[in-house]
Amino acid sequence: MSAVSSFSPVDPNHLGHNDLSRETEWDTPGRGEGGPASKSVIVSYGFWIFLLSDIVMFSAFFASFQVVAGNANGAAPRFDLSNLAVETGCLLLSSFLCGMASLCANRRRLFGTEIFLLLTGILGAVFLTLEIREFVGLIQQHQGPADGAYYSAFFALVGCHGLHVTVGLLWLGTMMAQIAAKGLRPDMLRRLTCFSLFWHALDIVWVAIFSLVYLMRFAP
Amino acid sequence: MSQQGIAREAEQGRDVGPGLGLEGHEDTSRGLRSYLIGFALAVGLTAASFWAVQTHAIYGPGVPVALAALAIAQMGIHLVFFLHITTGPDNTNNVLALVFGVLIVFLVVFGSLWIMSNLNHNMIPMKMLMDMQR
Amino acid sequence: MFGRLTWQAIPWSEPIPLIAAGVVGLGLAAIVAWVFAKGYAPYIWKEWITSVDHKRIGVMYCLLALVMLLRGFSDAVMMRSQQVLAFHGGGYLPPDHYNQIFSAHGTIMIFFVAMPFVIGLMNFVVPLQLGIRDVAFPTLNSVSFWLTAAGALLVNISLVVGEFARTGWLPYPPLSELQYSPGVGVDYYLWSLQISGAGTLLSGINLVTTAMLLLDRYLGFHFFTNEMGGNPMMFVNLIWVWGHPEVYILVLPAFGVFSEVISTFSGKPLFGYRSMVAATMAICVLSWLVWLHHFFTMGAGADVNGFFGIMTMIIAVPTGVKVYNWLFTMYGGKVRFEPPMLWSIGFMVTFVIGGMTGVLMAVPPADFVLHNSLFLVAHFHNVIIGGVLFGAFAGYNYWFPKAFGFRLDEKWGRRAFWLWFVGFYTAFMPLYVLGLLGMTRRMQHFDRPEWYPWVLVAAAGAGLITLGICAQVIQLAVSIRDRALLRDITGDPWDGRTLEWATASPPPAFNFAVMPNVKGEEPYWGMKTKARELAHLLTAEPSYQPISVPRNTATGVVTAFFAVVIGFAMIWRIYWLAGIGFIGVYAAFVVFAWRDRSEEEIPAAEVARRDRENRLVRTSALAKGA
Repeated sequence: MSAVSSFSPVDPNHLGHNDLSRETEWDTPGRGEGGPASKSVIVSYGFWIFLLSDIVMFSAFFASFQVVAGNANGAAPRFDLSNLAVETGCLLLSSFLCGMASLCANRRRLFGTEIFLLLTGILGAVFLTLEIREFVGLIQQHQGPADGAYYSAFFALVGCHGLHVTVGLLWLGTMMAQIAAKGLRPDMLRRLTCFSLFWHALDIVWVAIFSLVYLMRFAP
Repeated sequence: MSQQGIAREAEQGRDVGPGLGLEGHEDTSRGLRSYLIGFALAVGLTAASFWAVQTHAIYGPGVPVALAALAIAQMGIHLVFFLHITTGPDNTNNVLALVFGVLIVFLVVFGSLWIMSNLNHNMIPMKMLMDMQR
Repeated sequence: MFGRLTWQAIPWSEPIPLIAAGVVGLGLAAIVAWVFAKGYAPYIWKEWITSVDHKRIGVMYCLLALVMLLRGFSDAVMMRSQQVLAFHGGGYLPPDHYNQIFSAHGTIMIFFVAMPFVIGLMNFVVPLQLGIRDVAFPTLNSVSFWLTAAGALLVNISLVVGEFARTGWLPYPPLSELQYSPGVGVDYYLWSLQISGAGTLLSGINLVTTAMLLLDRYLGFHFFTNEMGGNPMMFVNLIWVWGHPEVYILVLPAFGVFSEVISTFSGKPLFGYRSMVAATMAICVLSWLVWLHHFFTMGAGADVNGFFGIMTMIIAVPTGVKVYNWLFTMYGGKVRFEPPMLWSIGFMVTFVIGGMTGVLMAVPPADFVLHNSLFLVAHFHNVIIGGVLFGAFAGYNYWFPKAFGFRLDEKWGRRAFWLWFVGFYTAFMPLYVLGLLGMTRRMQHFDRPEWYPWVLVAAAGAGLITLGICAQVIQLAVSIRDRALLRDITGDPWDGRTLEWATASPPPAFNFAVMPNVKGEEPYWGMKTKARELAHLLTAEPSYQPISVPRNTATGVVTAFFAVVIGFAMIWRIYWLAGIGFIGVYAAFVVFAWRDRSEEEIPAAEVARRDRENRLVRTSALAKGA
């Protein structure tokens, strides 16, 4: 076959678009030049991939919710819309404030970063409190996770999101302490980037939840 | 090619990590603008969603579609204004990863819905099946 | 205080697990005692257990896989022998014991043999082939490995304390729900997989489905229960959305191994590189579109079944493209039949047969006859053993010298291959026949006389495979004994074509003294060809710089330790202990996050010393005309 007879050490499988008779330099497509990307790019991209896998996980909970939601219209609760609006507002505002924290971190402003992170955390905690109260209320009305498939799916999906928020707050608190102790070092900045990716992603997941789980109940 | 030449090319072809779109830009006001616009749009879309379920202005059966569309739009706002995902060549890898993730989500959700509804349609309800075997 | 844990949990009245546990326990104790007595403990802790080096982690993954292969294979031998002895009788394994064995067999082989083996090979080889120093997240790598090991440990603990699941390797509800499996067996399965799954986070869907089953069992949720609106079929659907891509996760890296081995041992570049990449990408997408073929018989209509049946048949096409590319790589080349190549050729024959039977079952009406019969069992063993395991063995033989500095004994390697190859066909071809004759899977006993001869032949095949495994163990022992004779001096024992063969065997911690500037598809081959022409190395000695490498950390093993505590505590409902476990994990995370130095520097003099050694060896090889 021709691959053997026209063997070329530079381009053995004739993948190049260059005219090889001129023996030009190999033109590697993509980011082939200059070695590996910088650490901050690697870390944030890696975390991005993890987040996407986390979203796939949410989609499995979501799929199982949608499967039961179709069959359970009578049994499902009528959620408190004003509570939902406050929760959504809190999370959205906390996302915005997290962005402000990123801006401060970019400018290496330690105090500003800490203040905005604190506000992010406070709003996150408010969200969580409202959500826990809602859950407790549902359980007391015999609409808890052991009371039927719809509730199991609801509690699992929304609960999983809440669990992520809780872990996020724990992470936030730990990081705030760390930044206070060690300053805005490059590795702290990378972790802040990861945290803000995580927090924004949680808000994205919440958009899906409040639209397609809560508000959908009120669709005529 | 000299070491500096390689470095120069790398600088030009460099990837941007997700969430790092504002890095290195000394102009904070650009960043602030991005977050403010994103926040305002997101609030607007959220309000629109709440309004959509309470108003009679939208054709009833179309409300779920409206909710889905508004949700997708808002997710896009988050991605662009908060996570700074763009369609530039320095963001190609981020977008590719995202697209793959979205594809999987789509397959899992719609695949499951299709299969489960098909099963429910064709099978005796589980409870009745179990009762028949008692 | 101790939840459901009592002394009754130890199987005092069951001799087989008791003796097995005793033997393993004594063996482990002996090894640990020997390590401490010889003073190796600090070395093992510092160089292996806390290592974040991808090469060390890769070796540990492969070691875990090989050890668990012995456990999983013993389960297989028990199943085959039980079936031979249980014709018109009870055999020697009571039914619920037999059920635990086939469940453990599948669980161990997929999660603790195939996955770790493939991940271990990838870990070791890929950074070297790319010409870089390590993976992107070395500590995460270590944590992932140790969490996998933690999961394996939990499964093995179930042998001694409690019981294992009786529900098969994928625990379908309602059998796996609390009502029908009230014991701790399913809980062992679930926690061991959640923990090791956290280590391989991309298996998100598997995590979720497992989590849902846990929620059902522990907190009374109703995802998969029959009453209160749950739907057991939802488990089946979701688990196979994960399950099918999982088998491609297993086999695609094996395909990668074959591409390497076949091109090296044919002395030719891989044929059709672009179409290989395209085929792999196609398989990646298509593998997410076929999952229903695992449950054609469970009530979906003809349109759904038809769609998934067609998609399953389509996925054979890019796989076929790859097989043709391998064949064309061999064509016109100077083929050397060393053990890695033997495994590869064995793979091509075996995998194609297995693939064809898969396409046969992709036809839903055919599957209605063959589903859950031994035909199915033969098919998936055909593709997993022929594909994944043969690939793992090929990779093991191929990269062993790179990892350890000496080759594996070739004679015993050939014997191992032939025993495995003949043994595999002897063990599994009868299962195809049995499936067509109507024998279902997982039977603890049977009465049909026409099945008996085939069951006997299959057991003989298992015996041959046992000999094959013995040959592999002997191969390793002989190789270690004769390592001076088998030494890989230059670092390139196979006349390799890819960058890992540019390093010494074993490579230094930093892999490459100067990261190579890669041009073209086979850069090492290009460099080598040119150097051979000139009869000396292409570049002059570089100016050596100190190199930063990631620092070792105990985070991985400590996290995994607390994970085992959490798993065991949750299984036995000892909730306070689980709480301690969670606190321990968080504490380990904080301690790790608080450290100030994440890297340490290897001085330029040390880099120079290692690299000069390598250059000297290579120069003298070139001078001799090698």
